[in-house]
Amino acid sequence: MLQLLAVAAFVLASSSAVFLAVLVGRRVSLASREVERAELRARLIPVALELVDGEGVPSGKLSRREEEALADALGELSKLVRGDARARIAGFFAGSASLRHQLAALSSRRSWKRATAASRLGDMGSPTARPALRDALRDPERDVRAAAARSLGLVGDAESAGEIVEQLADGRLPRGLAAHALLQIGPAALPRLRELTGHPDEHVRAVVLKLLGHAGDSSDAARAEQALVDPAAGVRAAAAEALGRIGTAASARRLRVALGDRIGFVAAAAAEALGQLVDREAGPALAALARGGGYDVARAAAQALGRIDPDGLRRTAALDGAGPHLSEAADLLALDA
Amino acid sequence: MSDGERLPLVLAADDDPLILELVQFRLERSGYRVITATNGDDALRLAREHRPDLAVLDVMMLGLNGYEVTRSLRADEETRDIPVILLTARVQEADVSQGFDAGADDYLTKPFSPQELRARVQAILGRR
Repeated sequence: MLQLLAVAAFVLASSSAVFLAVLVGRRVSLASREVERAELRARLIPVALELVDGEGVPSGKLSRREEEALADALGELSKLVRGDARARIAGFFAGSASLRHQLAALSSRRSWKRATAASRLGDMGSPTARPALRDALRDPERDVRAAAARSLGLVGDAESAGEIVEQLADGRLPRGLAAHALLQIGPAALPRLRELTGHPDEHVRAVVLKLLGHAGDSSDAARAEQALVDPAAGVRAAAAEALGRIGTAASARRLRVALGDRIGFVAAAAAEALGQLVDREAGPALAALARGGGYDVARAAAQALGRIDPDGLRRTAALDGAGPHLSEAADLLALDA
Repeated sequence: MSDGERLPLVLAADDDPLILELVQFRLERSGYRVITATNGDDALRLAREHRPDLAVLDVMMLGLNGYEVTRSLRADEETRDIPVILLTARVQEADVSQGFDAGADDYLTKPFSPQELRARVQAILGRR
């Protein structure tokens, strides 16, 4: 019995020692790989900087590891630069082994590998990756879709704008990330966004109107004005918000009508937009709402009045029965002064 | 005085080392001497010590931010004339006007074009 216990103890001790040795070996190997990686990076950053600066491609044949380190350095730099510098990075990666490797990784069974590849392809900025990234935008994993959307924004892929908007509207993509991608695509996305103002899903219509408010111009005002009578309140509010940025004199007339919307947040958005447009004709209606409207509407109306006619607001706020919202708006004006 | 000492001196401050390398690389290639800082406090200290001909400051830095460093430079008789270019990821109109209110001469939004940075630096130093 004692002998058996001794053998068991020996086996246990030996296997622990082997396990420990494997762990230490692995740790040492990872650390040395990390050191090698840091050295390579330090050596290749100047090469990457020269390449970004347009001083030619690296001379001599790079090893596979050097190529990977250079690709990583350029990927990091691509997030920091735009214009010619970014075009040069895309040019370097076009047809490269790194690009092919990342495209292949988009089909990996592991979702983190697909997400990493989708993200790196955006950093590489190569237009040839667009079709594969559009496919990745329909990946079952949210992280992969998000990485693909970010990258499609970086490469300015207008064709994916519709899909990004739909996924933004139904929550399949993080809102901030999707909106940023669409804004990065910029004017090229506008034709598709304009088409989507007639989308059957009210959430898509609302998102599109908000984006047109940021990326569109006064030629989009008529679309937003029409949306002020949309059956969905969220769409009407988004239209008012957009008109605050891109509206014209004609838009102000429609927004004055929207002050009477039966839904409070729509009327509040209209009031805010009239303030942004500095529509003096809206003054009396805003003053009336600021005194007697619901909380959000009255607050928005009072603050809009402050933008349109600061002196008038101060006078009105000083009158008896002006109410809390006019007083608050006047206090805010005093703070800003 | 050596040739190197006659070259205009630019102070670059950003908490991202890669941005600093990029700015330093581009400006040195364009014939400037560059000193760098990775936070706002060091940037202010270096500006007082070296009196650079121009400062390129990131807005969002550890310690003092770019606006605060600019305000401090403007408040000091010795450093008030140093032109400042703010490098910012913030592109809202209010952020830009906050930069000018603090006393900045120009701003560039990230991601930025290194050539554009060089052109802006050259334009400001050329005016002096």
